Amino acid sequence: MTAWHLDDDALRRYVERTDSLAEGASVEQHLLACEPCRGRVTAAASVIEVSVIDFAAVWESTRDAVEVPRPSVFERLLRAAGLPAQEARLVAVASAFRGVWLVSVAAVLVFAALAAAIGHTRGLWLFLAVAPVVPCLVVAAGYDPRMDPALEPELVTPYPVLRLILLRTIAVLALAVPAVLLFGLVVPGVTAFAWLLPAVGFVAVVLAASTWVSPLRSAVAVSCAWLAAIWLLAGRSGSPDAVLQAPAQAGFLALAAASFSIFLVRRRQLAQLRPWR
Amino acid sequence: MDSRPNDETLLLAVAERDMGAFRTLYERHAGWLAIRLARRCNDRDLVADAIQDTFVAVWQKPRGFRGDGDIAAWLWGIAIRRLVSRLRTRGVAAALFEHAGVAPAAEDQVLLSVEYGDIGQALARLSPEMRAVIQAVVLDGLSAKEAAQLLQVPVSSVKTRLYRAKAHLRAALAEGPS
Repeated sequence: MTAWHLDDDALRRYVERTDSLAEGASVEQHLLACEPCRGRVTAAASVIEVSVIDFAAVWESTRDAVEVPRPSVFERLLRAAGLPAQEARLVAVASAFRGVWLVSVAAVLVFAALAAAIGHTRGLWLFLAVAPVVPCLVVAAGYDPRMDPALEPELVTPYPVLRLILLRTIAVLALAVPAVLLFGLVVPGVTAFAWLLPAVGFVAVVLAASTWVSPLRSAVAVSCAWLAAIWLLAGRSGSPDAVLQAPAQAGFLALAAASFSIFLVRRRQLAQLRPWR
Repeated sequence: MDSRPNDETLLLAVAERDMGAFRTLYERHAGWLAIRLARRCNDRDLVADAIQDTFVAVWQKPRGFRGDGDIAAWLWGIAIRRLVSRLRTRGVAAALFEHAGVAPAAEDQVLLSVEYGDIGQALARLSPEMRAVIQAVVLDGLSAKEAAQLLQVPVSSVKTRLYRAKAHLRAALAEGPS
């Protein structure tokens, strides 16, 4: 630390910008190395008549900027995939990514473990009953206003609702399907993937039905219907093969295609999402 | 010296997410950084944004300071580059502060030439454009590209002006006091 310091005149000239380039450069070089003189310039910055900037306001906004939580891993993943930041936020705030998704995956895990414990045929029935309905329940929860308080302001803001719902559906499936698939591998047999087409079909049904009623309600209805059908089939034949064979799978594919067409045709009705409350 | 924590201590505390230390760091440095930035750019909003960006960057990467040199110099390096980046993203033609806005009185001129010698006079004789380039590249240590963004001119102009300014200075110094 040198004993040399800026004299008051030089300091004033620097702050008021009435100095020469050479003098200013020399002052700046000294400031980098001299804490007391920096303090004097900083003190002068807040008292000169035309203050440079509003330091209190800049501090407020700086603090606000650093206190905003960093985007979640999932959100950053979406942004890395090319989604604009605003849309990534909209997709990521879906409650499905917090509680509902975890609960449903845990449910599948439990059922898969049960299936493995009970034995081959009955375990398979159990798994077939649960796995296809999980994605549609999660999708429904992903944009049902009752499950997601953040949705309402989103629907008020001018934003294509169809796009939001499709984005969220894709995002939910991208998360739910690998998880359920993984648990499907726990279930014995080569039919671990047979539930995929029914699942896609049910998601499409929920999307189509959501143009009339609340998505959660339609998802529950679809789930009950599926559980009842499985119950009947299991009681009659005792073998899960019927569900897994080609005709039944083609039927699910047709169901998915038909429902998705209905959804697209009736997509304008989605603007009425809010009256569900 | 005194019992106040030094900048290194504050920076370590900021790395531990200490908002109080962050505030102290801001209060200690925002002032002179803003004054120095305002000498490069007379758009107050841009300077305010650059100051905010600087401290957000410090909060996010307090360990970016490697411990070499002074923290003040490190902060200045961040701040001037944040300003350049703000200028680039806004695409505004922010008028650079015209340094020779207030002409020093005749007595001051004499004093300056006594105080700073030939180099001060030589610098004073440069055109404002050349002085701006000298300031950005030689005194602020920016690259030609960064200086071009700060001054809103093509990189090639920065290079030519720098070359000519150096030639002028060299000639002026070789000539000796007039």
